[in-house]
Amino acid sequence: MENNKKTFYQEYEVFSKRTPSSAFQHQFSLLAPNAEMALIMAQENFMRREPVADIWVVNRLDIRALAPEEKQILNRLDNKDYRTTKGYGYLKKKWRHYEQKMLDEKEILSWAGGKDK
Amino acid sequence: MSEAAKTLSPEFKEALVELLFQLADDDFFFAYRGSEWLGLAPHIEEDVASSSISQDSMGHATMFYTLLEELGLGKADDLAHARSAHERKNSILVERLNGPGHYMEDAQYDWAYAVVRNCFYTQAKKVKIDSLKQSAYGPLAEVAVKVNMELYYHLLHWKTWFVQLLSTTEEAKARMMQAMDKVMSDFDDVFSLGHHAEQMKQFGLIEEESVLKEKWTVALARIFESLDLEIPRKVNPQSQNGRNGEHTKELEDALSTLGEVYNLDPVSPW
Repeated sequence: MENNKKTFYQEYEVFSKRTPSSAFQHQFSLLAPNAEMALIMAQENFMRREPVADIWVVNRLDIRALAPEEKQILNRLDNKDYRTTKGYGYLKKKWRHYEQKMLDEKEILSWAGGKDK
Repeated sequence: MSEAAKTLSPEFKEALVELLFQLADDDFFFAYRGSEWLGLAPHIEEDVASSSISQDSMGHATMFYTLLEELGLGKADDLAHARSAHERKNSILVERLNGPGHYMEDAQYDWAYAVVRNCFYTQAKKVKIDSLKQSAYGPLAEVAVKVNMELYYHLLHWKTWFVQLLSTTEEAKARMMQAMDKVMSDFDDVFSLGHHAEQMKQFGLIEEESVLKEKWTVALARIFESLDLEIPRKVNPQSQNGRNGEHTKELEDALSTLGEVYNLDPVSPW
């Protein structure tokens, strides 16, 4: 009985989206005895002032989360530069670098030297 | 006075004003009794949710009082606050206390009573609003369409509580049955349209009492069937009819509390 009492209210995680095409976003959590109650509470508690296109409520117990010790699976070395695509934005800079080099003093003099010979 | 109000015949206007006072006063006191629950509801999420519904309902009352203001009956604020008990046209049900005690101290309010009253009243309001969407008075039909948008949620909220409390423990069920008896003993005048009922029907302002009552019964029957219960029948007819200005002391007390600040200085813009 004591145990029942403790779990009468359960934690629900509430997700909502602002427009039909946007993604669901986690908003907050609340206490309710079941999903139906959680749904009617979610609407008035947190979404009464803004437009909402849809709502999900999920019992926290149904979420498989990481235990503190399991967070070790997130550890990784910081040497994965080669895996990250940075696009080709750097090419412009590189090109300019070579363009500049082409017209520097040394380069021009070297042309003259070439003529002397 | 609005353009729509200028061309009305005196008989039409009289019936319309009567109906608007019934609708406005109903939601005004329903919202007031709901607001007294603030801080006292069973848990914090419900406190916020039910208080928000009370605020919505006060907003509905405001729309009806504003229609009266447009008909030249006076300022909406005065109509809401400054009319005495015998001028009020609300049903007895909405003026009833939430329970013994005062909301500031020793409140022993009955949540079962709140759930039953709010569920039955909101279902009745839904039936009336659906009918008013076809009202012969255009501005009222427009208001009905707006109010209806919020009613779906209000009704879902109270139905959810109603069904869940009746399908949990024996104690909850017993308390709900007791609350139903109490609510039903005050339900006669909820569908009464008062002295002008005949004109309201004749002018197409709203459907007649018996039609509205029947729709309400059909809607409730669906809920009761799902619970395998009988709809409570009323035994004794009610002695007073709020639509005719007959009220209980509970209304007078409510009026003096909710008008306390307003009556300090009615001309001051709060």
